[in-house]
Amino acid sequence: MRLVLVDRCEEARGKFYPLALSRPLWELRCGFGSLRDKLIGKTGAQDVAYFVPDYMADAYRAEVSGAVNDFSALTGDDLLILDGRLKAETFDIACSGPSEVGVETGGGVVYARITRNNAAMLDCRDIDGFIASAKAKLTNVPCALAKWQYTWDLILANPEQLRADFAAAGRSGIEGAIDEPKAILGSSKDVYIAPGARVHPMVVIDAEHGPVYIDQGAQIHPFSRIEGPCYIGRDSILLGAKCREGNSIGPMCRVGGEVEESIIHGHSNKYHDGFLGHAYVGEWVNLGALTTNSDLKNDYSTVSVVLDGHNAIDTGSTKVGSLIGDHTKTSIGTLLNTGSYVGAMAIIMATGKPLPKYIPSFSWFIEGVVTKGFGRKKLYETARTAMSRRRCKWTEAQEAMWEAIFEITAPQRKEALAKGRKEMMARH
Amino acid sequence: MATVEERVKAVTAQVLKLNVDEIKNEDNFTSDLGAESVQSIELVAMFEEEFGIEMDEDAALSVETVGAAVEFIANVCKEQGVKVEE
Repeated sequence: MRLVLVDRCEEARGKFYPLALSRPLWELRCGFGSLRDKLIGKTGAQDVAYFVPDYMADAYRAEVSGAVNDFSALTGDDLLILDGRLKAETFDIACSGPSEVGVETGGGVVYARITRNNAAMLDCRDIDGFIASAKAKLTNVPCALAKWQYTWDLILANPEQLRADFAAAGRSGIEGAIDEPKAILGSSKDVYIAPGARVHPMVVIDAEHGPVYIDQGAQIHPFSRIEGPCYIGRDSILLGAKCREGNSIGPMCRVGGEVEESIIHGHSNKYHDGFLGHAYVGEWVNLGALTTNSDLKNDYSTVSVVLDGHNAIDTGSTKVGSLIGDHTKTSIGTLLNTGSYVGAMAIIMATGKPLPKYIPSFSWFIEGVVTKGFGRKKLYETARTAMSRRRCKWTEAQEAMWEAIFEITAPQRKEALAKGRKEMMARH
Repeated sequence: MATVEERVKAVTAQVLKLNVDEIKNEDNFTSDLGAESVQSIELVAMFEEEFGIEMDEDAALSVETVGAAVEFIANVCKEQGVKVEE
């Protein structure tokens, strides 16, 4: 059986911006790893193919071993095609069996199980046509499988997912190094320190309310406190951090200050003091010293988030922090409002006041307004430098993807730029 | 209507807080007029607002003198169909 993950619906993808601008939805993280890891684990697939938006296909192809946007992957084997937003833990469909197409109430295809023989009879010129053809020709069954709807769903589900992933990993104990004096609260079976990880002296690991998993090569510097449930990714460093419950960090992150119920993708830094709560931070982000986000409103009402520059969406939760896209950098003292959206490849220079709740991608937020700054080429130069410091390469495929993202995000940015110019003019 | 040169100088004076009569075409924004990097960004934004044009930021920020800015903006206006007094 070949698992085929599909992420082609623009409207659905927009609900996961700015994180999904530069990755397929299944590369978003929750718990220990990505949604892809969980779907593959659940289905037991050995062979996986991916269908992603065309503009990111070349960049994504370099990151995975399976076929990407390759129509030949639709032939030669039994197929299990899944909507990339499916929640793995609720997926209970048999992976093999006669062909059937799971259709939700609105008519959307959630999954399609297609035998090799049936697949040969379908239109396989493109993935959308293939799925439509499967729906038209094969048995349809009603389907109400749960799907991720918004980025903040992942944040809010993270503590429970961490607990589930710790149990599924089946590891506990200290295989790495832990220096004296040490303090582990709760049961030591709820703590795992992987080989190569080192916990320095004077670190408190509090597993009373959830497990703590410190992955290979991670280093926990003195005076850090880690509350479970928590996952510290490979080769990440905690620098005297107050790591509250519900965090997924890493790999290769540097984290200090106070962090609570947040998901941070790889290679991102928050070295210094400042609070990050109920936030979702992309890859290669740098949060300057004292960058702080609010995750709770003063009146305890539910938090709304603006994803498109105009419409506020009520998250239904009283706790949502910031959504921060890849390669974004904040200056010292940046203050992020409750439920802020900070696009990808943005540069933020603090003004001392909380930022606007929506900052488009590729913005240079300077003197309190969105500007073009020094342009995107300068941002690419910075990205190239940041990546080379971690022995990673900025590729032509990545630059082409970011050029496409620049165009995709242009309408919202143009509006913000026009507003910024007017404000600047009025100021002078 | 004021000429492109007059409008460029007026905006420059406004952003850099200078007397407009003291600004000469050969003045370098940075070394002669004291524009800091953030003010360069402001100047680009303000020129765009003043003339109703969109400038490529890399090209705009490579302009060094007031006279070169006048020429650059006049060309952008022509390309984008914006009528101005030469």
